[in-house]
This record gives sequence, C-alpha cells and structure tokens, in this order.
Amino acid sequence: MKKTLKYFLILILFVALVAAGFVVYVYNKPHRNVAKEKAVTLTAEQLYQAFKDNEQLANQKYLDKAIELTGRIAQITTNQQGQTVIDFNTADSTVTINCTFKSKPALNLKMGDSVHFKGICTGYIPDMNVVMNNGVLVK
Amino acid sequence: MTKLYLLLIGCLLSVAGLQAQKSYVTRNGQISFVALNDDDVSAINNEVASRITSNGNITFSLLIKSFFFQYAEMQDHFNTDYLQSNTYPRSDFKGTITNIQTVNFSKNGIYPVTVQGNLTLHGVTKLITVPGTIEVLGNKIIAKAKFTLVLSDFNIHAERVAKKVAIQFNCTYQ
Repeated sequence: MKKTLKYFLILILFVALVAAGFVVYVYNKPHRNVAKEKAVTLTAEQLYQAFKDNEQLANQKYLDKAIELTGRIAQITTNQQGQTVIDFNTADSTVTINCTFKSKPALNLKMGDSVHFKGICTGYIPDMNVVMNNGVLVK
Repeated sequence: MTKLYLLLIGCLLSVAGLQAQKSYVTRNGQISFVALNDDDVSAINNEVASRITSNGNITFSLLIKSFFFQYAEMQDHFNTDYLQSNTYPRSDFKGTITNIQTVNFSKNGIYPVTVQGNLTLHGVTKLITVPGTIEVLGNKIIAKAKFTLVLSDFNIHAERVAKKVAIQFNCTYQ
C-alpha cells in the first residue's frame, strides 16, 4: 500500500514538472533570429518581379522565408513605433521592397546607397510593396 | 459660340477638380488587436499599406504574417491554426468615408467620420461600417478607429482562445 502511494506521488510530481516545463517553453520560446538563419539570396528587383509575375507562386517560394537581398535605398523612415524602415527601389517607380529593421542600422545610410541585408518576407501588397521585417544588415 | 465657351470652362473646371483631389498614403500604418476575453492575446502590425483620397475613398491592405505577438508560440498558432496565413496571406479593405464633406483637409482639426466598405479576411468578404476620426495636421492626416470583429463571421475558428477581438486602427498618412 505504502509503495503504491509513493509511486502515485512520484507520478503526480512528474506530470506537474512536465506541465510546468511546457508553460515555461510556451512563454519563453524565442522569436526567430534571422541573422542565424540560412537565407535565399536575391536582388530587390528580382523579389518584386517574382511577386508581380505570379503572386501565388512567389508566396509559396518566399513567404515566411529568410531572404538575403541587395537593394538600392529609396527612402528611410521610422514607423509609428519608432523602428527604422527602409524602402528599396524596384523596377517600378511606385513599388518598393519595404523592410522594417530589427534595430537601427549602425551604418550611416542614405538615399541611393546599395545595401546588403537579410529579413523575413511576409508577403506582397499589389501596387504598393513587398513587405519584409526583422531586417538586419549583412557584412 | 457661348456653348463652346461653356464647354471650355467646364473642361477647365473638371481638370481643376481632378487636381484638387488629394491622395494620402502610408506603407507603415498600424493595426493592432486584442481578444476581448484575454488581454494576453494581442498583436500589432506596423506594415499596413493604406490610401485615403480627399473625395472619400479609403483602402488598406495588411499581411497576416506581419502581426507581431509578444509570445512567439502564440504567433505560430495564430498563423498556422487559426488564420491559415499561407493560404490567406493578406487582408484587404476597400470602402468610402460616407460623410467626407464634413472633413476640411485644409484646416487642422479632428473630424468624426463613418467608414463603410468591404473587408476581406481569411477568404471571407463582409460589409462593415465603423466610426472613426480623421485628424488633419498640416500636410499629414491621422486616421483612427476602434471596432469589434466576431471571428466566426470570417470563418475563423479560434473559440478556445477568442471569439471576438477589438481592432484598433491608427495610421498616419502623408
């Protein structure tokens, strides 16, 4: 009898530990770190062209993927949360690759500079931009 | 001859009218939401593309994968289990500001507006009407609105987590 109780208590303790571990995991699972991910390499023009030609196909290929891009800066702004946002030129003057950076790039960037960076592609908004976030500069 | 003059004047006026119609744009507007029954279930999207014209058209588009949650695990469930963002990556709204004549785009101030239009989310399109404000501030305008969406209206089944969410729209245009 005593033995059964002992096993029972151990079992309860075990279940509680697993549950606690799960909660800790769920609340602490880190967000993606793009800097450490293997990326698809493209130019800003190529990425836009892929979405313009066939959005569905481009979504399959690039959505949620880490992408390493080379692009020319069209505009540098900050969003309403104070994060740095850089728009990169595409072949179409009214459409950009819009990338929100994870933190303010250390380099002193300006319009017209060619930049090599990495980010996650979240999709395409026709006639406006291809959206990327979690941007980091690549050396 | 008089007719010809009238026609000419008419043409000139319509050209002037076209030029007078101004378009305000943003690529980085903000939309956030929070579940009505649980404050922890909330996310923010700072990559909303939107356009408002001075004759009352308003459109916005956002990408589901651009919603940022504090908890990464929640963000995964939101995308994979509830919104199926690989199948439905984007949400679009196209509508009009029904009382646009009350907004004076050349005078600073906060103007109450009503917006009506079609919202497409999770592959479902629904007509919505929401109250909001447009603030004119020099050559910028700021549009704000708060409203509630019932998730099942858009065929989103997240009952275990939330049935209704409060949406906050806050976009600064230039």
